Amino acid sequence: MAELLIDPNIRGWVFLPIVVITFLVGIIRHYVSNLISSTKKIELTQLQDSQAMIRARLLRENGKYLTPQSFAMRRHFFNNEESGYFKTQKRPPVTPNSSAMLTDLVKGNFINVLPMVVIGGWINWMFSGFVTTKVPFPLTLRFKPMLQRGVELQSLDASWVSSASWYFLNVFGLRNIYTLVLGENNAADQTQSMQDQMSLNAAGQMPQDPKQAFKNEWEALEITEYKNALHNVCDDLLVSVSEPMTNNIHH
Amino acid sequence: MSKAFQKLVLGCGLLSLAHAAYSAAQHRTYLRITEQEFTTLPLDIILQAVISLAIIIYSILSLKSDWKLIHATDLQEKSSWETLSNIQSFYTFNHRGKAIFNPHYLQPAPVSMDSLH
Amino acid sequence: MSSNRVKTRETKSGEIIAYSESAVRQNLINVEYVKTSLASLAGCTAGILGLTGLLGFIFYLVSLLGFFGLLIVKTGSNWQKYFISRKSLLTNGFLGGLCTYTLFWTFIYGMVHVY
Repeated sequence: MAELLIDPNIRGWVFLPIVVITFLVGIIRHYVSNLISSTKKIELTQLQDSQAMIRARLLRENGKYLTPQSFAMRRHFFNNEESGYFKTQKRPPVTPNSSAMLTDLVKGNFINVLPMVVIGGWINWMFSGFVTTKVPFPLTLRFKPMLQRGVELQSLDASWVSSASWYFLNVFGLRNIYTLVLGENNAADQTQSMQDQMSLNAAGQMPQDPKQAFKNEWEALEITEYKNALHNVCDDLLVSVSEPMTNNIHH
Repeated sequence: MSKAFQKLVLGCGLLSLAHAAYSAAQHRTYLRITEQEFTTLPLDIILQAVISLAIIIYSILSLKSDWKLIHATDLQEKSSWETLSNIQSFYTFNHRGKAIFNPHYLQPAPVSMDSLH
Repeated sequence: MSSNRVKTRETKSGEIIAYSESAVRQNLINVEYVKTSLASLAGCTAGILGLTGLLGFIFYLVSLLGFFGLLIVKTGSNWQKYFISRKSLLTNGFLGGLCTYTLFWTFIYGMVHVY
């Protein structure tokens, strides 16, 4: 393999600046998103619904420790045909295209996608066509289009990296450094926030349709069979107390 | 050992690592000028780099020494009697005080015991 | 106060131990912090030494093991007071660390040896 000699000026004017630019853009993104992001407002009815659901679930799971009358009372509160909570509360289905959500989406795109495209394009244009560095491990030819974007040379070894690809290496490698510098849960990491957007709908505070959720919870509560867990508690206690004593007598 | 001393050690380690990097770069330039083939670095640079790495990691680990005890019982040893009785999961805001102290309170319609299963 | 949640876990002997979740998370964040710095600094050192190919990856593993040994020496025999499992300390965030390591390795290697 022929050893390439690269002009040291490339180091000073291409190689280092790309690292610094990538890092600083991440920092700026963190602070900008801190500035323009608004704390998510939770609707009062939504919170109320989710709390009611939690209460119903707790009753289903731990109701066996209550007295029969207490259990019936609590179930009555949720499930009564005329005045039960799940029967009387009518919620309109949540419209996902509310304006607050839309602005959030626009803001997220503004913070995440725009810098990625703009900075990537700018670096591609500004530093186009440089061979910047060499990865210190051998790579197969398949990596050539990935690592040598902007430098199409047939005879160049696959482990040389072009300037555009060096930028993308930086984007992925600096991810952990941001946690080091900015602390946990920073906004500099764009790949992380993209994942968040994906899972936003799946793990929301409340399911999209409270009506359906209420119906499910109502059904589950309706078929719950009450069985007092403390029914034999007196006998159990007496047995456990008397056992050591009988043992003592035998010995 | 005090924190300031640890930070000093950390700084020295980082400087030493940077110095090793500079030496290695100089060595590479020297080889290129004299047109010799690169095999390995001189032993002193290798030793300096590895030892300074060890020093840095040790000092970072010492600086980050605010480990918390994870057992819940260890936490409770510190809590006082007042905080022990303050159980938030049992807070209720929907109790009879609402009816007693609110003059405009409307009593809900009575529920017959038959509708309770 | 809500961060003082307690979660329980059953040990092999069937004993149930309660952990404070915030303390566990705090410790893991600390370990992650040190591991990220380790990955970047080990990458720098590997770049300075001019390691190439498989040697560099072996160096990452060796430095990770060295860190693990150091952690065990520091916490001593009472590691159970601080961590739930010792093995997860070694394996957590391995690939992310490798990413950082490779970047710094390439970076310093380029700075020192290529130019």
